[in-house]
Amino acid sequence: MENFADRFFRLLPQAEKPSRYTGGEWNAVKKTGPVRARFCLCFPDLYEIGMSNLGMQILYSELNAREDFACERCYAPAEDMAALLKADSVPLLSLETATPLRDFDVVGFSVQFELLYTGILYMLDLAGIPFRAAERGDDYPILLAGGPCAVNPEPFADFFDCIVIGEGEGVDAAVLEIVAEGKEKGWSKREMLRRMKSIAGVYVPSMREKGEKVVKAVYRDFENAPYPTRPVVANTEAVHDRAVIELYRGCASGCRFCQAGYYYRPIRERSPERCAAQAKEIVRNTGHGEIAMCSLSTGDYSGLVKLMDELRDFVHEKRVNLSLPSLRLSSFSGDIAQESRKSSLTFAPEAGTQRLRNVINKNVTDEEIDNVAKAFEAGYDSVKLYFMLGLPTETDEDIAGIAAICSRLRELYFATRGKRGPNISVSCAVFIPKPCTPFQWEAQITFEEMLRKQNYLRGLLRRIKGVSFSWHGAESSVLEAALARGDKRLSYVIERAYALGAKFDSWSEKFDKEAWWRAFEDCGLDMREFTGEWKEDAELPWGFIDTGVSKRYLLSQRRLAYEGVTTRSCREGCNGCGANKLGRCTIEW
Amino acid sequence: MVVLVYSRTGAKRFLSHIDVLRDFARIVRRADIPVGYSAGFNPHALLFFSPPTPVGIASVAEYAAIDTELSPEETLARFNAAVSEDMRASAAYRVLKNPNLAGRIAAADHVFPFPADAYDISRGLELSYVKKGTPVREDVSDRIFAAGNRDGKLLLRLASGNVTLRADRVFDALKSALGTDALVTDVVKTEQYVREGGVLIPAREALEKRN
Repeated sequence: MENFADRFFRLLPQAEKPSRYTGGEWNAVKKTGPVRARFCLCFPDLYEIGMSNLGMQILYSELNAREDFACERCYAPAEDMAALLKADSVPLLSLETATPLRDFDVVGFSVQFELLYTGILYMLDLAGIPFRAAERGDDYPILLAGGPCAVNPEPFADFFDCIVIGEGEGVDAAVLEIVAEGKEKGWSKREMLRRMKSIAGVYVPSMREKGEKVVKAVYRDFENAPYPTRPVVANTEAVHDRAVIELYRGCASGCRFCQAGYYYRPIRERSPERCAAQAKEIVRNTGHGEIAMCSLSTGDYSGLVKLMDELRDFVHEKRVNLSLPSLRLSSFSGDIAQESRKSSLTFAPEAGTQRLRNVINKNVTDEEIDNVAKAFEAGYDSVKLYFMLGLPTETDEDIAGIAAICSRLRELYFATRGKRGPNISVSCAVFIPKPCTPFQWEAQITFEEMLRKQNYLRGLLRRIKGVSFSWHGAESSVLEAALARGDKRLSYVIERAYALGAKFDSWSEKFDKEAWWRAFEDCGLDMREFTGEWKEDAELPWGFIDTGVSKRYLLSQRRLAYEGVTTRSCREGCNGCGANKLGRCTIEW
Repeated sequence: MVVLVYSRTGAKRFLSHIDVLRDFARIVRRADIPVGYSAGFNPHALLFFSPPTPVGIASVAEYAAIDTELSPEETLARFNAAVSEDMRASAAYRVLKNPNLAGRIAAADHVFPFPADAYDISRGLELSYVKKGTPVREDVSDRIFAAGNRDGKLLLRLASGNVTLRADRVFDALKSALGTDALVTDVVKTEQYVREGGVLIPAREALEKRN
């Protein structure tokens, strides 16, 4: 095996940000001795992005806790570094031991969202690994994918040997155990994959049988699930440089557009005592100056007050900030907001009128929006608001409602605080119908309609002082929708787009519309096939995946949406979505 | 206040100065070194550093002042337990107040991966490089204070601090003149100097004198 470490080191001084590629971070695990199986965890975006991903840290620490396994990491190099690697014929290497990706037993990709698909090909290209599973013999590692996009794995399924649907804890280790045993017993790759198929949550695209269902993997004992209390500390500034504790998985709110809210069911909470202990341990082991509470809706966490009590003295003593992301207006409490640094508060009403919020089941009332006054009283001057344009049944009146909310917040601010006026920032995404949600059959609004709605809202907001407006690119939203509901034919589109130069598609300055639009055309596919409305009896590309939530429930939620009827929070009583067949919801009511 | 002399070798030589500043705040927290904080809206640990070393150049003589009541020995021990080998500290000094290293450092020794006789200081040195897209040519002879021999390698004492001469630019100029394939990563900063009474003295000596 050629040692590339020296050649790689010689390239570093020429790289724009060499600290992305050196490894050697605090808490990184370097195993140079013999192990039964080696795994390289890959993230198809830059180091700064990937280092902020909790899933990567969880799996890295879980696999390295096993003495007989080694887990290393690799992030997509920036284009300057990729050019240096290619020019010098150095393949893509792991951070820990500078081992070429193709020399690992398993190469696993974390696929966080649709616009990272070309990143997978970009990394495989640099690693000298053929894209399609069918083109790779036994000499190549087993390629594995996992992450939120596995909810509809079909667009990228043909690139991988196996895909973990659902949560990776336990599953990745079981996959690696089969690989280790297979190496010892001389099994072929096919034999290993055949055995992996029997692990709950593992989908082997090349062996899918007619009528086969793949049941999502759920880590039932979330309280005791593996958690990294010695996370790797990034060398250079990561997007989120902080100690992260995961309060719970799943979400009780049932917003009808929200894939994460449906996909991560059943709801499983971790006790505040354990979360607090983990937070303290992580701060001691990393030195991070901020603790972030991660969940889909932190304000709804039943142990939040207890957790704050447990952490209060510690954060004062260690001079650590507590940050509270993702609060829901209805759960906002002035007491809790008092505890954290008063920079800005983030809320997501998602829609401008009560009518549309009822449609999407965002149970936020106009009265609750008035709750923001509490935040102003607590000392906040800035509010960030997230909305979505193009939701099913949306009219211009709903869009005007967004501007009305901003005006109302200004009134509330002047009634409670000084004369200067608040900073309100409005961020608008475009609705993307996502698989495994009640809106999975909905159409996305057309590109022209997106631009019209964005312009209309911009015009309204311009008249209100102190409001800044940002929006998602319309082109990338269309592409995201097409990829989200794509089938196997899209793997050719992804391949073609990459060949035409598309990469780092989630970076707006890098997004190459021409390449993607041409790729669809070259493959003889019309994007509208994937972004338009689908019949309820249509066969869905992800129909073989069982997330626990029944189709019947999704359809009933869709009906309720059109009737403008909301569904209560799961914390008020079970709504019978079906997810608890995969594990008990641990919230009480 | 305690001043640590620490290194930046291995992977750590690629950290930018701003990354080092961020990292230090984390290091003192995980090392459990009690440190004073500023009193503003965004309180930050009171840490003060010697002038930046360019990305890629190793150093065994970086200085950082930490506002702590701990003894120098204890600070050194806790720091070293909280950093990887390529950032270890070699000495610690107690000082009464912030020694203002960023402002007082005037020169730094660098050992270059060239033979000691590869450069004759009397010839002076002209650099040509690109700064913010504009080509620059400048005579830097007055910013090279001394040349010497360190184990057969070229040692140069370069201006550092308010008036500075970047070692990576000197390396590039000498490399192209000599036509070698040496790497900038083989340049090592070995000592920093403060000017006292018109004379350059090693920062360590200045700190020892203050004790």
